[in-house]
Amino acid sequence: MTALLELKNLKTHFQRRKTTIPAVDGVDLVINKGETVALVGESGSGKSITSLSIMRLIPSPPGKIVDGEILFNGNDLVKLSDNEMCKIRGNDISMIFQEPMTSLNPVLTIGEQIIEVLMYHQKMSKNAARQKAVEMLELVGFSRAKALIDDYPHRLSGGMRQRVMIAIAMSCNPKLLIADEPTTALDVTIQAQILDLMKELSKKYDTSILLITHDLGVVSEIADRVVVMYCGQVVEEASVDDLFEEPLHPYTNGLMGSIPSLDGDVDRLYSIAGTVPPPEHFPVGCRFAPRCPHAFDRCRNEAPALQRKGSRSVRCFLHDDKEATV
Amino acid sequence: MVSYIIRRTLMAIPLLLGITILSFAIIKAAPGGPVSMLMDPSMKPSDREKFEEKYGLNEPVHIQYFKWLGNMAQGDFGNSLIKRGVPVSELIMNRLPNTLLLMLVSTILAAIVAIPFGIYSAMRPYTKIDYTVTVGSFLGVATPNFWFGLMLIMVLSVNLGWFPTGGVSTLNAPFSLWDRIHHLILPAFVLATADMAALTRYTRSSMLDVLKQDYIRTAMSKGFMEKKVVLKHGLRNGMIPIITLFGLMLPSFIGGAAITEKIFAWPGIGSLFIDSAFQRDYPVIMALTVVSAILVVVGNLLADIMYAIFDPRIEY
Repeated sequence: MTALLELKNLKTHFQRRKTTIPAVDGVDLVINKGETVALVGESGSGKSITSLSIMRLIPSPPGKIVDGEILFNGNDLVKLSDNEMCKIRGNDISMIFQEPMTSLNPVLTIGEQIIEVLMYHQKMSKNAARQKAVEMLELVGFSRAKALIDDYPHRLSGGMRQRVMIAIAMSCNPKLLIADEPTTALDVTIQAQILDLMKELSKKYDTSILLITHDLGVVSEIADRVVVMYCGQVVEEASVDDLFEEPLHPYTNGLMGSIPSLDGDVDRLYSIAGTVPPPEHFPVGCRFAPRCPHAFDRCRNEAPALQRKGSRSVRCFLHDDKEATV
Repeated sequence: MVSYIIRRTLMAIPLLLGITILSFAIIKAAPGGPVSMLMDPSMKPSDREKFEEKYGLNEPVHIQYFKWLGNMAQGDFGNSLIKRGVPVSELIMNRLPNTLLLMLVSTILAAIVAIPFGIYSAMRPYTKIDYTVTVGSFLGVATPNFWFGLMLIMVLSVNLGWFPTGGVSTLNAPFSLWDRIHHLILPAFVLATADMAALTRYTRSSMLDVLKQDYIRTAMSKGFMEKKVVLKHGLRNGMIPIITLFGLMLPSFIGGAAITEKIFAWPGIGSLFIDSAFQRDYPVIMALTVVSAILVVVGNLLADIMYAIFDPRIEY
């Protein structure tokens, strides 16, 4: 398998007055061709900022990619000019967002919003682009695509709008689709349909997907590999099977424990104690230590590194080789 | 849409009637009258009565109102009491083109300066350029037109002699386009500054709001350059609230320029309004009131129609 996208020590910091907020603080991540990688974590863990960094859509100021590389097919996206980046965005890498209700422009028809991408990136004529737009709408499951193309977004439901977003995102056959919590705002039956659609399209066009979510149910459904983020860092990375079989990091364990199960008769749902610390007050040692049930002295004084463990990696002293021998 | 326009027009009739009743009552309640303006103090009371009788001013107010209303319904606004024998409609039609020209030019001037500045300010908020534009527009709002106009006349016309001090054209000169433009520049500029300032602020805040929306991020994620995103995806959404502003500005086309017209001796509707109000020239005042009331109604209706054109979510 060859890597399509590789993040190396990516750091995206925000500047608020005099303080620096390390929203993404040294993230390493690999997405192979055709692979679906889920990026999991609580709110504020830096997953959305990671995805926006890949798109180079961090609002600047105050945000800035201060260090690291984003290798896409071997090219470092961080070093590209704005012009070159514009040729990649929406063409090779496209993105769908959490809020389908507000992500489409209310004053342009659905057709226009697909056609403009095709005309811009694929240099299609208006007629050809229109033809293709109808095809795309049919592909994402609209049976009356020809009529729909001249409709405005406000006539569609949230699920339908997310389908339109997918049609826009997939229209140029991107190599990578970034989906930032694509199903969070949708109701459960629609969630499943949207996930199925993404799975189907990624298989058909060999598109890699970076799925950002905090919903482990979604992860088990669609992802090949999972990357767990906490406080701007990757804390665990494993294949979906390994992770659900045996989560290594106490944080991942906590996330798993928070999923309600059908057979257990627990009255209270498990939750990880405490809250995510704000980026300006990260602890000195392991960032999860204050909330970790297994934390010991070393965790509070020393920051663990992300270590490989066979086919997976984890950032935790509990799985440190040195600790194991002690 | 058509039925909506008809409904709105019908709804405007009672509104207009109410406006005419109110303004008629207020004008009549104001002390003084055209007679005292026109008459030589040495004239006999019988002459005064004769004048009042001739123009129906001795009748009860409501009778006068109904007579006026009846005539107006037939398109007859009557004759001016001060400039005796001149029909009001002729008086208005003589001056209306001047006012419309002045307002049109100043509004266009305001729009072509204000909208780009507002957009740019919104694209780069809290930068030096934004602050400069903001300070400039507050200055524009805070500067009274009459003062600004007088200063310009003093410096540019009197001291430097670059522009004429007033009027629409050089007296007794043959028509020349340049002469007209030369006379138009100062009053149009003075009028434009205030609108320009307000319009810049409105455009800025509206665009600032729009540029934060999710669909702008979507457009950026499609790979378009910022300029295209702002102009294609942002501007159309950002212009929706500005349309209301234009709708509300339309009636001020009649009265809004009064002071500027006075200062620049511009023979327009605004100065006519002021003059006739001081002279208690009832028919002229009433005619102008009706015209501006109609413009208010039409302006609002136009704004609503424009809404529906710009925003597909609105249907009537």
